[in-house]
Amino acid sequence: MCFRLSSVLVFLLAAGVALAQSTASSPPAEPSVQELLDRIERLEKRVSELEEHERTQAGAAVGGSGRQAAVPAQAGQMGAPSSSSHEHMAPSVEVQEAETHYPSLQVRGFGDVDFSATDLKGTNSGFNMGQFVLHFASALSGKVSYFGEVSFTAEPTTYELAVERSIIRYDYNDDFKLSFGKYHTPLGYWNAAYHHGAWLQTSISRPEMIKFGGSLIPVHFVGAEAEGNIPSGGLGLGYSLGLGNGRGELFSKAGDSGDVNSNRAWVASVFARPARLYGLQVGGSFYGDKLSTTPGTNFSEWIAAADVVYIKEHPEILAEYANVHHHELGTSQDFNTTSYYVQLAYRLPWQQNKWKPYYRFEYIHRPGMEPIWDFSSTPSVVDLVGSTVGIRYDITNYAAFKGEYRNTRHGVNEPNVNGAFFQTAFTF
Amino acid sequence: MTAHCKFVFAVLGLACLSLALCGTVAAQGHDVDVAVVVHPDTPVSDLSLADVRKVLLGDRQYWKSNLPVVLLMRAPVARERNVVLKIIYQMSEAQFKQYWIAKIFRAESASAPKVVYSNDMANDLVTAVPGAIAFIDAREVRPGAKVLRVDGHLPGEPGYPLR
Repeated sequence: MCFRLSSVLVFLLAAGVALAQSTASSPPAEPSVQELLDRIERLEKRVSELEEHERTQAGAAVGGSGRQAAVPAQAGQMGAPSSSSHEHMAPSVEVQEAETHYPSLQVRGFGDVDFSATDLKGTNSGFNMGQFVLHFASALSGKVSYFGEVSFTAEPTTYELAVERSIIRYDYNDDFKLSFGKYHTPLGYWNAAYHHGAWLQTSISRPEMIKFGGSLIPVHFVGAEAEGNIPSGGLGLGYSLGLGNGRGELFSKAGDSGDVNSNRAWVASVFARPARLYGLQVGGSFYGDKLSTTPGTNFSEWIAAADVVYIKEHPEILAEYANVHHHELGTSQDFNTTSYYVQLAYRLPWQQNKWKPYYRFEYIHRPGMEPIWDFSSTPSVVDLVGSTVGIRYDITNYAAFKGEYRNTRHGVNEPNVNGAFFQTAFTF
Repeated sequence: MTAHCKFVFAVLGLACLSLALCGTVAAQGHDVDVAVVVHPDTPVSDLSLADVRKVLLGDRQYWKSNLPVVLLMRAPVARERNVVLKIIYQMSEAQFKQYWIAKIFRAESASAPKVVYSNDMANDLVTAVPGAIAFIDAREVRPGAKVLRVDGHLPGEPGYPLR
């Protein structure tokens, strides 16, 4: 009995397979329920449009329009514009809403709240407010746009307000865009891609070589910049050329209020985004300036940087290298400081892609005697070997939790420091 | 009927039901091409998929120096949007949103794609707004619309990539 019943069911199973295959392979004749609902919705909308049209015409003076009915779409007609398109002129409200009105202003805020605890002697664990940042983007006309960024940073007794970027840009076309103002120096990848606002970046902190307030790389640049695409087919080349004030009196700051000498700094970068390798970007950049530490003591500064990034999150790879070369013009002594980082991350496919673990290794090596870094009482750049492992969890599309463990050694013959860091970062 | 027979019966019955359902779902989820439609005055008629991607990523913002690209995207959950996200952007909805926030505030683009709520609206706007580019179910493209070839293919032709 059992055998016979099983045989019947095996037959039914085989028939089911055949039926499923034939259904899947045959042309879909029957529309789905969702498609029918969509069609009903479209038809209802169309009826209401026609009723509205009739009402409008009834109210207007009677006159022969001479309009013709729309011709059904034919495959051969798709590429050829015809006069029948005037049948479907958009309602003016929709068109007005779609058009950009000048000046248009978009404001977006970023914030983060952090907790840190390390085994470094003399430090306290605890919460701290991260930067509160406002970004502004405003189209002033079809060709002219303004971008601004201000930050509020918690200090022991107050909040420090800083204008981080303020750029007015004229677009001639994709190949030439000219702008003036204060930028994040287009040197390497991270500095020009991730601005203030921790939500934008995967990790809690920036790599030390480009950290805000750091001196190794001039993070800000005040001046003029030309940028655009280089016609190069599938290679996807782009460029950026800048001329500006360079470092200010404090090497970590740009000369917002004026240059400290009469020599301009310059920066040039070129990158490739190959069409065949979507997500990959390879770039190189150079920066030159003249630094005056004390009257009569001048250095030339030459920074060469290279970056390779793959930003599709499955995986995400960021790798940058920079060599900062200082040449003392009086004594012809040369100093090279080398730095790099490699960051790997992967957006996990589970739980709606909310989890993203990451790891970063970073390294800085400076000469024992480096007059620029030792210009102030405490060295502004020190040796570093560090590893960071962490995970980011996107609570929503606009807020994330991050947790990090860092093991770093700053300076030579110094002990390693372990730290745990947590952050919630968001945009609004 | 023994417990063993009941078990076999239940398993095979479930298998039949599953296969029948799979067949139905496969039949309903058939691919319909998504046409790339541009304003009639746009000076292109054939783009590679990589070029379409460049336009959608905001890396190409001008058709010519006096004609900026105006991106029109269907609102979330529309099939046309899902096809564009999957094949062109290769991003999830969340990644797409993050991408444009970062793009705008990196000062690389003044505005994100404009959202359209139906293929009717997309048809209306792509006809009316100079420089507009929209992604519309090929069955609902209006007569006379300028439909781009992608990688040399029109919707409905073999090898058309947006489906």
